[in-house]
Amino acid sequence: MTSGDLMALMPILILVSGSVLCLLVGAVKPGRYLYTAAIVVVSAAFLWSCAVPDAAILPGLSVTPFSRFSAAFLYGTGIISLLLSLSYNSRCGIAGEEYPATILFALAGMGVTCAATDLLMLFLGLEAFTFAFYILVAIKRGSAGGGEAGLKYLLNGTLSAAILAMGIALVYAARGTIKLTELVSTGGGAPEPLFLVGGCLILMGMAFKLSLVPAHLWTADVYQGAPAPVTALLSTSSKGASLAALLLLVPLFGTWHGLHDILWLLALSNLLAGNLAALAQKNLKRMLAWSSVGQMGYVALALVAAHAGGARAAAFYLVVYATAGMAAFGVVSVISDEDGFDAIEAYRGLGYRNPLAGAVLAVAMFSLAGIPPAAGFMGKFAVFAAALRGGEFGLALVGMLSALVAVFFYLRVVVVMYMKSSDAPLVVVPVRRLNIVEAAALLIPAFVLVLLGVYPQPLLELLEKIII
Amino acid sequence: MIANYPLLTTLIFLPLAGCLLLLALWNRAVFARTAAFGVAVVELALTGWLYASWQGLAGGATVVPGYLLLEDAPWIPSFGIRYSLGLDGISLLMVMLTAFTFCVALAVSWNAIKERAVLFLTLMLVMESGIMGVFLALDLALFYLFWEIMLIPMFFLIGVWGHGRRIYSTIKFFLFTMFGSLLMLLAIIALHLLYARQSGVATFSLHELLHTQLPLDTQLWLFAAFFLAFAIKFPLFPLHTWLPDAHTDAPTAGSVVLAGLLLKTGSYGLIRFGYPLFPLAAHAFTPLFYTLALLGIFYASLIAFAQEDMKRLVAYSSIGHMGYVAIGIAAWNPVALSGSILQMANHAVTTGALFCLIGMLDERAHTRDIAAFGGLWGKIPLWSFFILIFSLASLGLPGLNSFVGEFLILAGTIKTAPMVVVLSFVGIILPLIYMVRLLQEVVFQKERQPLVMSDLDLREITILAALLLLNIWVGVHPAPLLDMIHLPVQLLTGGAS
Repeated sequence: MTSGDLMALMPILILVSGSVLCLLVGAVKPGRYLYTAAIVVVSAAFLWSCAVPDAAILPGLSVTPFSRFSAAFLYGTGIISLLLSLSYNSRCGIAGEEYPATILFALAGMGVTCAATDLLMLFLGLEAFTFAFYILVAIKRGSAGGGEAGLKYLLNGTLSAAILAMGIALVYAARGTIKLTELVSTGGGAPEPLFLVGGCLILMGMAFKLSLVPAHLWTADVYQGAPAPVTALLSTSSKGASLAALLLLVPLFGTWHGLHDILWLLALSNLLAGNLAALAQKNLKRMLAWSSVGQMGYVALALVAAHAGGARAAAFYLVVYATAGMAAFGVVSVISDEDGFDAIEAYRGLGYRNPLAGAVLAVAMFSLAGIPPAAGFMGKFAVFAAALRGGEFGLALVGMLSALVAVFFYLRVVVVMYMKSSDAPLVVVPVRRLNIVEAAALLIPAFVLVLLGVYPQPLLELLEKIII
Repeated sequence: MIANYPLLTTLIFLPLAGCLLLLALWNRAVFARTAAFGVAVVELALTGWLYASWQGLAGGATVVPGYLLLEDAPWIPSFGIRYSLGLDGISLLMVMLTAFTFCVALAVSWNAIKERAVLFLTLMLVMESGIMGVFLALDLALFYLFWEIMLIPMFFLIGVWGHGRRIYSTIKFFLFTMFGSLLMLLAIIALHLLYARQSGVATFSLHELLHTQLPLDTQLWLFAAFFLAFAIKFPLFPLHTWLPDAHTDAPTAGSVVLAGLLLKTGSYGLIRFGYPLFPLAAHAFTPLFYTLALLGIFYASLIAFAQEDMKRLVAYSSIGHMGYVAIGIAAWNPVALSGSILQMANHAVTTGALFCLIGMLDERAHTRDIAAFGGLWGKIPLWSFFILIFSLASLGLPGLNSFVGEFLILAGTIKTAPMVVVLSFVGIILPLIYMVRLLQEVVFQKERQPLVMSDLDLREITILAALLLLNIWVGVHPAPLLDMIHLPVQLLTGGAS
């Protein structure tokens, strides 16, 4: 390992050592300063990923433009999530050094995932951050919802990890290597059956992480039960890292048509199941959870047309979705105190009682619904352009119609916030003044959403460069 | 000198910049109101100046024939989207109409909006920006963007400051429009890809896409998507059901903008994009278009007759009047099309005035129920005078504006579709029935409830007088406006070559 390699790997090293230090120091002198320290650590990793050249080629890891961009984005969401946790955790009685330490560890896992060059490292990265989330989801001791969510996530997660590992083993058995570059299928026709079985098992494992139907059933319960800042991180960065992994895996299948068919089915079922189920939700967190299932349908829709620029569209869409998700769950984090205030109806009049939170949630809803000038529109535009270019007319039509359904349930939140009076004799969310940290954590994603909605060109250019 | 200054961008973004001004005045409703109105007036002055100098601008050579001003800049090259704007005679008329309507809408809601007034003003200005953009965009993707952006303020306008079942109405309005728009978006992208396949150029520019060679069946599919989006906005029977709800439950300013401008974006879109892009399909659709327009005229008039709520009555009458605009577009010849374009402006003025009048009455009596009134002629004579004259205008009385538009439409259509014209002549009689009923019951007749009401104040008289002057001007001397739209109409209908 040269010093250049060390430099390139520094973000991951910073995060891992930060996590360990956090645990050690926290045992001696616990306190809230650890959150600040964690934010500094992630910011350092973030800046480093933006700045370092892509040089390192180590066994299993390689820092490429793609990995640097993905990692920087994921660390960014990590910063926002930590900012949100700062006051949420003190309000909701989540104490202890393990929280910031685990988040740092999760981010390190994501960094590894994006930079993986063989299946083993990929597995390691994926499971590292998923493992961290098992803890984070259930970190609120004594909360029944949290425990239930943690258990559900753990059971589903271990199953998917087992499937993923089995898939990797089969692929290894078929090809005798785990290096991604050597595994890429070349030439026409279908790869050998054993490889395909392994590949499909890997896909199934990934489907769990991306909550693709039918591996989506954990989503709503986990999103609802986990602390809101954790849900924010789970619904954005864990999806982002998983998509990055999936983008690394797609070339493995070469031109095999079965991949297209599988993704096609996944996209269709996600679009329908996610958007229709979200329609019936009364709880904001659950609604967002189901809607994220639907949103993943658009990502899958773009991936169906991967040969026609769909991979880029999927990445762009995910960035936009994750930013909107961060903003939406950010508002939930600053608004909700204890369980029970997540009902959509409880947000009545929020737009006037807390203008900042209301406006940010409204922008997030418009973005998720794909209405300009929020970035969601550009995301949908990219996805549909790719889908039509790939000749997926029927699926694009389904996507359009389900987007219409989605408009309804996203707008309902806006309607409740701005058009329903808070005087009615029902519980509404309590209102308190937001501190500057919370305001920043809400404003940054909202600003990014508007910026990407009005001028997405720099990001699109960047993605064109890093995703082939 | 003029050509170098981004005048069109100014037109679009001036109101948006005005919003920033309003942010500074967030807690001072009185100043904010003046500021917003000031911005709208400056905007009107700008369009007025453009109108005064359009002949001079027409002398200068622009890249695209018929256009007075063009602006073009790369925006999102990765998608092939450009920021390209253009102003021709038709756009100029629509832009003038927009600026004028917003002045009226802001003035008419001066005292009516008391709660969250600054938010209201901000949304109005955002909407003005959006609508200006719709009338100026020459890039299909940019057009679509503005087309969607203008919906959001209206969604809030109806939902927050509306009456009655405002939430139901605003969601219905939004979903109806979104349904059409989303399919149009697919069609826009498909057209873009088809052109890229033919020419190797990825663009959404209208003037390049016009060269796309499409077989009839492809044209039919794409045109159907465009047609659906525009027909919902229009609104054509049977896609009109959102309109009565939205108009009735919107605040007065919202109704004025809805009737005056949002409906016009539908007909404008059809004229600017739908017909020129898919001429074969448009031709094939003509019988359907005629049928729906006629059905709309008859159906809306009959329903209007049965209304008890004055605002709902005017809303239905809107559907009928827009039916004539539709007939003129369907005929697609210079005379009829000029009539349609002129009638778009006329309808905005007349119906806008009627909505203003009903809003003013509602502010005084807190009801719009026809049965609650009677004998207003003796009580509020000024109001009664105005509603009488605007009703007559809406019926097409010669000397007032609608006559000119409807006459041109029917005169232009009679050569191509005589049966349609015969039927629409019958249709012209129907508004007489419900309008006479409205006037008879509300203005004349005996007083049914003792209502204490003051007559119009100076602000209200000024608004209505301005509308009336415009109305008479177009009615008596439409030639300058017809000159303005002459060349673009000729180019659109292929008569200039």
